[in-house]
This record gives sequence, C-alpha cells and structure tokens, in this order.
Amino acid sequence: MHKLSVSSLALGPNGLNIAQSFFKPIHGASPQPHTTRTTKISVIGVGNVGMAIAQTILTQDLADEIALVDVNHDKLRGEMLDLQHAAAFLPRTTISASVDYSSTVDSDLVIVTAGARQLPGESRLNLLQRNVSLFSKIIPPLSAGSPEAVMLIVSNPVDVLTYVAWKLSGLPANRVIGSGTNLDSSRFRFLIADHLDVNAHDVQAYIMGEHGDSSVALWSSISVGGVPILSFLDRQQIAYEKQTLERIHKEVVQGAYEVIGLKGYTSWAIGYSVANLARTILRDQRKVHPVSVLAKGFYGIDGGEVFLSLPTQLGRNGVMGVTSLHLTEEESQQLQKSAITILEVQSQLGI
Amino acid sequence: KTSSSSALGPDGLNIAQSFFKPIHNTTPPPPTTRNTKISVVGVGNVGMAIAQTILTQSLADELALVDVNPDKLRGEMLDLQHAAAFLPRTKISASVDFSSTVGSDLVIVTAGARQIVGESRLNLLQRNVSLFRKVVPPLAAASPECVLMVVSNPVDVLTYVAWKLSGFPSNRVVGSGTNLDSSRFRFLIADHLDLNAQDVQAYIVGEHGDSSVALWSSISVGGVPILSFLERQQIAYEKQTLEKIHKEVVEGAYEVIRLKGYTSWAIGYSAASLARAILRDQRSIHPVSVLAKGFYGIDGGEPFLSLPAQLGRSGVLGVTNVHLTEEEANKLRESAKTILELQTQLGI
Repeated sequence: MHKLSVSSLALGPNGLNIAQSFFKPIHGASPQPHTTRTTKISVIGVGNVGMAIAQTILTQDLADEIALVDVNHDKLRGEMLDLQHAAAFLPRTTISASVDYSSTVDSDLVIVTAGARQLPGESRLNLLQRNVSLFSKIIPPLSAGSPEAVMLIVSNPVDVLTYVAWKLSGLPANRVIGSGTNLDSSRFRFLIADHLDVNAHDVQAYIMGEHGDSSVALWSSISVGGVPILSFLDRQQIAYEKQTLERIHKEVVQGAYEVIGLKGYTSWAIGYSVANLARTILRDQRKVHPVSVLAKGFYGIDGGEVFLSLPTQLGRNGVMGVTSLHLTEEESQQLQKSAITILEVQSQLGI
Repeated sequence: KTSSSSALGPDGLNIAQSFFKPIHNTTPPPPTTRNTKISVVGVGNVGMAIAQTILTQSLADELALVDVNPDKLRGEMLDLQHAAAFLPRTKISASVDFSSTVGSDLVIVTAGARQIVGESRLNLLQRNVSLFRKVVPPLAAASPECVLMVVSNPVDVLTYVAWKLSGFPSNRVVGSGTNLDSSRFRFLIADHLDLNAQDVQAYIVGEHGDSSVALWSSISVGGVPILSFLERQQIAYEKQTLEKIHKEVVEGAYEVIRLKGYTSWAIGYSAASLARAILRDQRSIHPVSVLAKGFYGIDGGEPFLSLPAQLGRSGVLGVTNVHLTEEEANKLRESAKTILELQTQLGI
C-alpha cells in the first residue's frame, strides 16, 4: 500500500524498524482484489467550514479514508496531524492531505468548501467572479481524479457555484449537489421545535429556493408529529398574520448572519448539515433533503438551467428525484422569483 | 424559558399552548430523575472542539457553555443549536456567569491565559492561578458532586490548583494530562506497523510536557511486549532511538501549533473519551493527571501528574500497578520534582 506521508522519522528504515518482522502472513494468502473498495471522502478547503465537516465525518465514522486539500501547505499539514493524533480514540480512518489533487483520487464523495470571502465593499458579482476563477482551477482536476464521485458544493453563493461546478466537472446533474437550504431548514425546524418543546426531528419543514434572502418557507407543508401546522391553526381558531410567518422566516435567514456577527463565522451547524447529507448519500439512505439541484422543469421553473434547493431524495447515486409538494400559488410564485434572481446572476458569468 | 425565537411565542405565533394535550392522571417528573449534564468552561478552539465532539457522540443530555466574551459565547451556542435537526435532542445553554453550570455531572475547564511572547512559564502560571481563583470556587459550589476535569495548561499544576480551590476529594479532580500524548505515541507506532492504534497499548506518564516519561517497558502490541520482541528477533536498537520517538511525541503538539496556530481536534477527542469513561462508568484505564502522592516513591508533597488511572462514575477509581524499570521510576520522580518546584512557588 503506497503511503503518502511518513508519520515518524524515528520509526522506520532510518530508526527503529520493527514493521518487517512484526506480523507473519499465513500460507496461501493472495493480495487484495482491486474490486474491494473503501469509502473515501475528500474535503477541499480546510478553513472553519471544511474542518468542521471533516471532523464531524470522522467522529460519525462515515468514511474509511478522508483526504484534505488546501493551498496553504502548513495549515493543511497541521489540520491533518491534529486529526491523525486522535487515532487512539477513533475507529481507524486513513487521513491524507495534498496541495494538489493527488490525494483525492478515487473519492466516493467530494465536498468543496473552498472560496474567496467577500471583501468590504465588494459587489456580490465580483465575489462570484473570483470564485468562478477558483472553481475553474479546482473542479476539473477533482472530477478527472474521481469521475464517479458525487460532488457536493458548500461554498457560497452555493446555488450559482453548484451550477458552475456542474458545468466545469462534466459530471451528470444527479451527481452535482449544493448544500443549499439543508441548514436553513434545520434552523427553521429548531425554532419551531424549541417553541413547542418537541424534538426537532418531529418537525417536518422545508425552506426552498435560493440559499439566501429570496428563500421560500413552505408553510403549507409544515407538519409536526403528523399535524399540518396551518390547518391546525385554523381548527384551533388561532389567528395569525402573514407578517408573523414572514418574521419567523426572516429569523431563519438572519440566523447565519447573527452567528457570523457574534463569533466571526459559522462552522458547527454546517458541519453537521453536510455530514448528514454525506451519510444519506454514502449509505444510500434515500431520504429527502432540501438541497440545491438542477431545478429546470420543476414547479414551473423553465427559464434556464438553474440550481436551487428543492426537497430531493438522495441516495448512493446522488439525486434520485425531486418530490412533488403541493405549493400554494404564492409559494410557487416566490420560488419562481427565486429562480429568476439566481438566473440573472448566472447569465452574467458567461459559462 | 428563554425563547429562541421572538416571532414564535406570546408576542407572535403562539401555538405551544394547544399543540399537545396531556393524558389523564399524570404527575410531574420525580426530583430524583436526572439528565446527564456537562459544562465546558472556555469556548476557544479547545473548549469548542470538546463541546462539539461530546455533542456528536451524544454523551450528554445537557451541555452548558461558559466564557467571559458574551458575543462569542452566544455565537457558539447558536451554531450548535442550529444543528438540532441532525442530532439527538441535547439542551444547550450558555452564561457568562456560572448559572448555566448548576447541577453538572462533569465540568471541563479549558479556560486559561495564553503565553505572551517572552513570558516566563511561572508568570503564565500565576496568571492562570488568578483566573482559576475566580472560576473554580463558583463551579464547585454550583455542582458540588461533579467530577472536575482540567484541560488548561500547564495541566498538572493547574489540576492541583483546581483541587485545592474546589475543596473536592482528590478522586473527583482529574487533569487531561498525557492522555493525548499517549494517543500520539500510539498513532506513531500503529502507523509504522500499519496497524489499528487501539491494538497498541502504550503509556506516556508524568508531566504533560518536556519531562514526560514513555513507558517502553510496558508497550505491547496485540499482546506482544515490544522490548522483549526486539530482543527475541535480535533487532538491535539504541536508547537514543527510543528517545527520538518519544521526542517526536512531545514535539507533536508544538508542530501542530506551528502549522495551524493551535491544536483542537485531537484534544477534543481525548477529552470526550475521558468524559465517556467517567459518565458511563466504563472503568477503563487512561493516563491522566491525578494526585500522585504515594505512588512509585513520589512522597514529597502533593503533585498531580499522569499515571495510568482507572476511571469511572466516581472519577478516579485507582492507579494501576504497572511495573516500571528503575530508570523509568527515576524519570517519573524527576518529573514529580519539576512539578512540585512550580507548585511551591504558587503559595496555595
């Protein structure tokens, strides 16, 4: 087995070399067939988001191999070592790292978190163009090294960048997904669950559309323990104003900005969110998640090849299909507006 | 109950009151039912790596965070709470005072000043002792039956300080010690042998620092004691080589700090592993910083340093009677002296 890095200088051919005589093979053994595969995940970008994702994946034992990639050699090696040093506390996972894409070859899942941060006063379009340049360096070697991988984009603005990654990778649309509103929906479910003092898993609620200001909260499909919320309110004759619902949705959208304002960035929640998607994909769980997918043809979205979040069934081959939720007229219009917002930005990129 | 949402509640949409209907003849929970609660003091890189690993591994029902910086604290609390849909339900709270820590089963202290460039170790220590005087007594008062785990460095002396300031019996005050150093040691050996690190039994004991002691005479891999294996195979080795390997372990932390600025993930897993052993009464052996008085000829004073200790629900159950060579025992006593020298200058 080719080892990419030597962990110890003092243990090995130049020091204490006990490896050769330690284990004796049995008679008649044959080498490992090449059809046996271990599960491999690569994470591109070892910033706060990338490392929260990598560490959560490691703790949840989702992969046999984890590869890390970043431009900063020292930071990359430091993060790799910090994970390797925990070997005594975890099931064995091979952790490798490279500044090029050599360590990512043959991944089952590739998670891209690399991206420029917005400079003060920088326009969103400018930021986006810088990230597109970055992606044209990152995506082609990734897909060349792992042509059968599922590619999961986390970098923001995630919807447009997932489209860009799809175009640059040459991968089929079912294997290029954006983390989208998976986390927004978790924040939404947390707020409702906390109010009702119920487990968030019992709250079914989707936020769809753009991962951003024009996201759409599907109030008509929220249900708690099987009770659809809006019809519950009607039956109980609890009056509510549309503004109140919009306020709740706004709190969800603000949630990320609030955390960034307080601690400087977000990391843990997106780490759990992406690890959750990784599990569904790699273990073929066939669960429905709100993630950014090629939305053309759904819910009246026909104007172009736009990626945005829809409730999507995910499995080992990536996107299995999009569910057919009943949207109210208003929700449908909001979703189409969200699509137009994204398409406008996409068209300025010239991809 | 402080609400997470202002728009969901009495001032907005209030569906809580009518959502669930209780069944007939219920009674409230008896006061003896308890949830498992862990408090983490200090939400820097180390504290948060510990808190997040504990959360992912589902080790507690309640997690409380404490720090002096209210914004950073609230931000970290929210960042964990937002993951609610992906985790079993865990109540996460936070406070700048110690109110959120009341009734903890385990309190993990990571708070501590960082060494300023050119600062002497003693000076750093004295600053941390001042910090501990403010932090440890209220923690102990809020959770008088908890196990107190110290991670802040220099961990051995600070565990002693925490023990004195808390008034707790010595079995309930433990330092993370060389638990992580031993993991690094086991990783290096396992990686060389292309083996699972859990099959490598190897302890580094003594000071969590430069005077730590690698117990080569008790390293065994899959039941094979290493040193006698080397002799049987007639593989020659020099003492220097063993010392080089040990040095790589000690350097390990400094290397990570140099490369990424700090360490976090490994100490997170290390502390969570100790938390599990304690809270689930695992009775497993870990090299952690304990009151070493009376062991291996350590009789002068009350030093805390790492020894292979059996951990369970009541904290330290005992220290294993591992055989040390004369040299290893000497080195351990040297380590104890180093720690005691520092301790005596503190005047606690």
